[in-house]
Amino acid sequence: MSAADRVTIRKLPTGVPGLDEIMGGGLPEFSFNIIAGAPGGGKTTLAHQIGFAIATPERPALYFTVLGEPAIKMLRYQQQFQFFDPAKVNTAVRFINLSQVALEQDLEAVLAEIVKEVEAVGPSVVIVDSFRTVVRKAAGGTGEAELQGFIQRLALNLTSWEATTFLIGEYTEGEIRDNPVFTVADGLFWLSQHVERNSIVRKLQIMKLRGQESVPGLYTFRITEGGLQTFPRTYGLTSGTEKGKGQNRLSTGIAKFDELLHGGIPEGDSLLMGGPSGAGQSILATQFIAEGLKRGEPGIVAIFEELTDQYVRRAASFGFDFETPQKAGTLEIIYLRPLDLSVDEMVHEVVNSVKKLGAKRLVIDSLVGFEMALAPGFRTDFRESLYRMIGALTRLGVTIISTVEIEEDFTSLGLSNFAISFLSDDIVRLRYVSINGQLRRMLMVVKMRGGPHSIDMNEYRVTDKGIVIGEPLRGYRGLTSGIPGPWHPEVRDAEAADRKE
Amino acid sequence: MNTVTPAIKDLARRLIALEAARDAAAGGAARACDQLRRPLTRMAGAAGFRSLLSRALALAKAGDYSLNSVHIREDGVLDGLAGDDGAAVVAHLLGLLETFIGASLTRQLVRDAWPDAASDKTDDRDGKQS
Repeated sequence: MSAADRVTIRKLPTGVPGLDEIMGGGLPEFSFNIIAGAPGGGKTTLAHQIGFAIATPERPALYFTVLGEPAIKMLRYQQQFQFFDPAKVNTAVRFINLSQVALEQDLEAVLAEIVKEVEAVGPSVVIVDSFRTVVRKAAGGTGEAELQGFIQRLALNLTSWEATTFLIGEYTEGEIRDNPVFTVADGLFWLSQHVERNSIVRKLQIMKLRGQESVPGLYTFRITEGGLQTFPRTYGLTSGTEKGKGQNRLSTGIAKFDELLHGGIPEGDSLLMGGPSGAGQSILATQFIAEGLKRGEPGIVAIFEELTDQYVRRAASFGFDFETPQKAGTLEIIYLRPLDLSVDEMVHEVVNSVKKLGAKRLVIDSLVGFEMALAPGFRTDFRESLYRMIGALTRLGVTIISTVEIEEDFTSLGLSNFAISFLSDDIVRLRYVSINGQLRRMLMVVKMRGGPHSIDMNEYRVTDKGIVIGEPLRGYRGLTSGIPGPWHPEVRDAEAADRKE
Repeated sequence: MNTVTPAIKDLARRLIALEAARDAAAGGAARACDQLRRPLTRMAGAAGFRSLLSRALALAKAGDYSLNSVHIREDGVLDGLAGDDGAAVVAHLLGLLETFIGASLTRQLVRDAWPDAASDKTDDRDGKQS
């Protein structure tokens, strides 16, 4: 059968940010779905959010409540969410209680009641909450065949009446196998909460979706005052290509540093700046943002280790006004709630901000802080997640400086310890060196993917105006170890002679 | 705790008057409660409506001993309410609804039950009283 001959399955927007993308474009119209999971997982909220998004007075949503959460309390809590529009209640979204029928009669009566209501209004969406209680109530006096028959007739009726259906139930994963409810369902949405040390992470899995290709995997989601928000892992990676990468150079705001980079950071690059605590990588990143603002390039700073006000105050101490551009909408400082963050959530937040501001410059300060802000379970996938995030951001054409704190070991550059240098187009290393009884600072450009760069190792100072880069450190050997010694004059002269030849 | 604002009292009085005008013999308050019973039973179930009405009746009885003989039948209909009595029951029922689901949804329910009688005054919480 050619593609033109196939029936087109319309995809309904769910009203849940990110969910349509995970489902491959939206909810298949007329599908028969299960929303399952443990108590407190967000099942009822998800169903409400979808119902309110799709329903209209002409094609309403019918919300059947059965022996679960009392309807009055459900309305009391659900109206706290922004998607809950009171004007739609009993017009576009109609609530019908079937508790008495379920308690006093059998499955047939429940089915008859649902069908009667459906035939009366021709709803676009039907929700049965909690379907599990219907099944549990019926299980006592009903055989498995009868239960299966009930579910099939329910699915048949609701589909024939062109309704997209959601049955909500509290299930454990062990109950999926051989369960007639799951066999009949076209879609199975599994909501779960994972405890990771002291953090709780909510996850959504689409275990089944007939008729269209969803993006497999576990997705983190958050329940906020807006309702559920899911964070697709492919966010920002599915559209476009890397924009204008390397066409221009962006000044860092430090002329001498730009010289070392042979003209600045290539536009669209991801630059990793590593150094020990107190080396000044955050200050350098601040100067990069400030220079962009001076040139009319909007910027974003994602911080994890200090609050926005503290960051703004610290920038001010170096003479940079970050308050005015924040008010003007050219600078956004994102402070993300630590300890239970997912990388996908961070990507979502930053990508949205980049798009909103049309940001040209982004600072992530720091990757170590970012890693610490993640829920423990996500830290194990940190490198893979970071790869996705940098990929999504560089596709937008934004130029990134990520800072990373490195523990000095005096034997190596320390970058391989963090094992993320492959993520970066460019690497700059700051480090302390012990010279003549003084602890001095040194900067070197280790790598630039887009072309040549200075191979000098320059001394620099942290001043009240920011980073000031000095002259290359000459006459020392073993500078990269942090404990250099003087070149032996004979060796130095011989090497100089070799270079001349 | 349930609160009945002057606006809710006023709304209850108007609904009772409206129902009394339709059928004076049946008693305006009983008819008003019955008018609310239908949408509330549909939405919250018979047990849900009955529990709300029980609470409203208990609150009303605390302030008016003449209601002591009033009781609620199994089907959620008020029994023993005569003439103009029972304005407090209707007011407390509306007050409970407002407490649980808010003024906006309560107003919507009333508007659905009495398209010609609903008033925005139900969300006027000034001067509320227990």
